[in-house]
Amino acid sequence: MDVIVCMKQIPDLQQIRIKDREPILDNVPLVWGDLDKNAIEEASKIKEAVEDVKVTVVALGSDKIEQGILEPLAMGADEAVLLTDPAFAGSDSMGTAKVLAKAIEKTGSYDLVILGEGSTDNYSGVVASALAELLNLPMISYVRELEVQDGKVKAVRNMEESFEVMEADLPALVTVAQEINEPRLPKFMAIRKAGAKPRHEWGPDDLGLAADEVGQNALSVETLSNLAPEQDRKNIILKGNLAEQIDALVDALTKEGVLGR
Amino acid sequence: MNVETKLGLDVFKIDKDAHIIIDQEICRSCEDKFCLYVCPGKLYSVNRETEEMEVECSGCLECGTCRIACIHGALDWNYARGGFGIQYRFG
Amino acid sequence: MTEADEEKVEVVVVGAGLAGLSAAYVLAQAGVDTVVVERGDYPGAKNVTGGRIYMHPLRHYLPDLWDDAPLERHVTRETITMMAEGASTAITLDNDKFREEPYHSYTILRSNFDRWFGDKVAEAGGFVLPKYRADDVLVEDGRVVGIVMGEEDEIRADVVVAADGVLSLIAEKAGLRQAQQPKHFAVSAKEVIELPAKSIEERFNLGPGEGAAQLYFGTLTKGMLGGGFIYTNQDSISLGLVVGIESLMEREPKIEVHEILEDFKARPEIRNLVADGEIVEYSAHAIPEGGINAMPKLYSDGIVVIGEAAGLGLNMLITVRGMEFAVASGVMAAEAILKAREKGDYSADSLAHYEELLKDSFALQDLETFRHVLGFMENPRLFNFYPQAVCDIFTELMWIDEKPKPKISTTVIREGVGKFLNWSTIKDGLGMLRI
Repeated sequence: MDVIVCMKQIPDLQQIRIKDREPILDNVPLVWGDLDKNAIEEASKIKEAVEDVKVTVVALGSDKIEQGILEPLAMGADEAVLLTDPAFAGSDSMGTAKVLAKAIEKTGSYDLVILGEGSTDNYSGVVASALAELLNLPMISYVRELEVQDGKVKAVRNMEESFEVMEADLPALVTVAQEINEPRLPKFMAIRKAGAKPRHEWGPDDLGLAADEVGQNALSVETLSNLAPEQDRKNIILKGNLAEQIDALVDALTKEGVLGR
Repeated sequence: MNVETKLGLDVFKIDKDAHIIIDQEICRSCEDKFCLYVCPGKLYSVNRETEEMEVECSGCLECGTCRIACIHGALDWNYARGGFGIQYRFG
Repeated sequence: MTEADEEKVEVVVVGAGLAGLSAAYVLAQAGVDTVVVERGDYPGAKNVTGGRIYMHPLRHYLPDLWDDAPLERHVTRETITMMAEGASTAITLDNDKFREEPYHSYTILRSNFDRWFGDKVAEAGGFVLPKYRADDVLVEDGRVVGIVMGEEDEIRADVVVAADGVLSLIAEKAGLRQAQQPKHFAVSAKEVIELPAKSIEERFNLGPGEGAAQLYFGTLTKGMLGGGFIYTNQDSISLGLVVGIESLMEREPKIEVHEILEDFKARPEIRNLVADGEIVEYSAHAIPEGGINAMPKLYSDGIVVIGEAAGLGLNMLITVRGMEFAVASGVMAAEAILKAREKGDYSADSLAHYEELLKDSFALQDLETFRHVLGFMENPRLFNFYPQAVCDIFTELMWIDEKPKPKISTTVIREGVGKFLNWSTIKDGLGMLRI
């Protein structure tokens, strides 16, 4: 059985500073999305539970992926496909899904495709659905429990106030929620040996895509701006004794409309 | 700017477990309490209700000054776990 | 390669600071299977310096490496300021030599720099493992055979290089160093304050790319051993102070490190330099100041200790050094390991070569030469009496009012003899001969 896990390198959000409302991305380290790690962990668990499973990671990222890819490979993936060509950069969700679909098709065989339910950076949550459509696969989303048996996948979905159990024939695509597992911390020797596992770097040509079909040349949705909310200090200094200051504070907050509604 | 606000400018990856463990037995009999003012992050405080020494590990700069200054040996001190704690952007 | 070889590496370096990365770089270049374990998210994530690195020792030990290093500004102006209550006297050195390439020293921010260095080690064939913390040494038959990480993981190696910084828990676990004494350490707190390059150049009178290094001592540390510093980076200023941990513990009334820093910053001499700047980071670091008297054992079977972990730092009163010691000790440890590797002998006897190399270098020789500096600096007069006296004399000379002024020589002799000729100062003068 062939399991494909799609992962994306994103800037470490905690490291991003905001200046003049714009995020500063220079030098921000790249990490895997949290849910991507749940996806690879689940694939590794399937590999441990079911015989004859091959896990392939299809990873989007920059040329700095070389070190990062060792992590999913050490966690249990057998092979990695790296989609690091600069032509892919700046893709929107549809563009990303198209590239992933071509890459997954090119791997030759796929029974189960696993993704996180959204990426930690912009969380559009659209890529998986688009990918299922492009690959013509049944899809189960927000999965918190997963089981693969007899050519079927059985999944428990995470609803707000209930659990929904669903089943689909393989091949299928699932997106996983954070509760599904606790991603393992790979051991050093596993990381070291991961370096010897096969890796393929595929660009647009390898996927049969023309330059105007990928990345920023093929946007269906354009990002007009990405600004932090405006924060303004009023610089009001309250004077007088404590009781007067408290009265003034209450007055000021009421005037702002945050009190007394 | 107060020290809490300054620490708020730094990147901390917060672990669920504390990396500094305090031996309350020793602190109770300690008259020096050097930790209260040598810590550049001002992270040590005595809890008013329980009178126990507390340290706010989530803002720890991992400089180790408290470990050096606590000559009474009340601290079981370690660095934050791998991938946790302060992550300097400038250094 | 046998099965056993596959489960171990040749060298594991604990800590991706300047010492560890320098050692790893030399070893990796020589084809040694080397892993650097770093607990931060990336090399540099836990590393702090005041702000300036001296390049000549670095170029000597690792030639050609530094050309594309992300350094900040080359220092062209050195200032030492004596601070008294409400007054200060500064001495500035401007020398064309500082403007000649290759430059003498640079201001530096370690996060960026160490990440770059980590990449260099990886390019050379070393393996940098971030986000993993080494917790203990693995000991078999009395010799170190690797490190333990967490509860289930370990890395076996021929040699462990303890480069885990000033507290070196690894050297401690290996029994090479004892609990630290407060008098051998100082604590430093620093702010990085962002300012446009143009403002920095205007305020510090610098050309493009030029930098200033400023040290301050005197009343700012309120009678305690220590001082303040300012280094100009490309688009920011590193401002901080250093205080001896023991003097902080002994001082009455008690004062917090952070308060001292705020008071320092509030001084008009400092305030205007950083006005309108935005603080972007607050950091702290303990600094080894014990010199040669406080060094741990530097090696044992299967382990060597380098950089700050080995206590390699030097406060020379008017310059503070550490990073070039880190690089030099890393390179020398690597050389000793390469020699041990040729012999296939990683015993203490074999690794003793590392200490021999250190003894022949500036590292241990400078520590020896300046071994009395710390004792000299424990003198509180250095931080209150002398800066005050110097400022008083200057003020006397500069102050013009309606009264007739005495001759300059009269003022200097009256103030100078009065202040500087007594038993304490003569003793201090003699003490100075020892440093």
